[in-house]
Amino acid sequence: MGSALESYVNRVVSIITADGRNFVGTLKGFDQTINIILDESQERVYNPNQGVEQITLGLHIIRGDNIAVIGELDEEVDARLDFSAIKAEALNPIIH
Amino acid sequence: MADESDQQIGDVQLKEPLDLLLLSLDEIVTVKMRNERELRGKLHAYDQHLNLVLGDVEETVTVIEIDDETYEEIYKTTRRNIPMLYVRGDGVTLIAPPSKMPQ
Amino acid sequence: MLFYSFFKSLIGKEVVVELKNDLAICGTLHSVDQYLNVKLTDINVTDPDKYPHMLSVKNCFIRGSVIRYVQLPADEVDTQLLQDAARKESVHSRQ
Repeated sequence: MGSALESYVNRVVSIITADGRNFVGTLKGFDQTINIILDESQERVYNPNQGVEQITLGLHIIRGDNIAVIGELDEEVDARLDFSAIKAEALNPIIH
Repeated sequence: MADESDQQIGDVQLKEPLDLLLLSLDEIVTVKMRNERELRGKLHAYDQHLNLVLGDVEETVTVIEIDDETYEEIYKTTRRNIPMLYVRGDGVTLIAPPSKMPQ
Repeated sequence: MLFYSFFKSLIGKEVVVELKNDLAICGTLHSVDQYLNVKLTDINVTDPDKYPHMLSVKNCFIRGSVIRYVQLPADEVDTQLLQDAARKESVHSRQ
């Protein structure tokens, strides 16, 4: 089902990595091991004491092994979120 | 027929560990998992990876906290019930068949 | 193949996927592949206050290897059929 990601290509996606980080960008490509190419990417750093910090990164390849979840972002909903007011712990890392 | 080393129970020969799971289908089993999790429920399915489907599951999670002052280990358990659960095999460390199983 | 077929039979049903990072995602099972990677639609995180990380995500792909549990709709599972399938599979894997 490498093709499961086909419907996300050229869409803005939110990636949760195995170490608990969150990247948002445009999915430009993927392969059967779920390596992905993410364009215009940014990292969203969650912090319990202050709002979400968004760090611009640009074009990235993320190795499939390090990917936990790939979410299709609803850009309208995302644009309405007030990230300066969202305070949360970073996600836990995946513990196998 | 069976080798002398093989046990025969009913019409099933115990040749390999997974045969014990075959005999445990529709029986209540105890499953130990990584990270101090334990499950008890009726075994409905399994495969060679130890992926499972369990019914009427009770999960017990144990967390060990260290008391700040006495440095004593405090075991805290939380329980929850799940009607039907798929369990990914890579987290499974042990499966115990029901105690009435033949030894 | 047993669990792949089993999950395919649950497509369209609501499930809760619990990950090995303790995140629990509720959604409709959209598809599954041989690695037991799954796609969910119309998702909600079980505890959005603690996990606001996916507030604007409505559909997602989950890597099979990061799944700990999937909570299933009990009334949609034919346990007799499932046990029979498990017995058949055990004969296959023996050979």
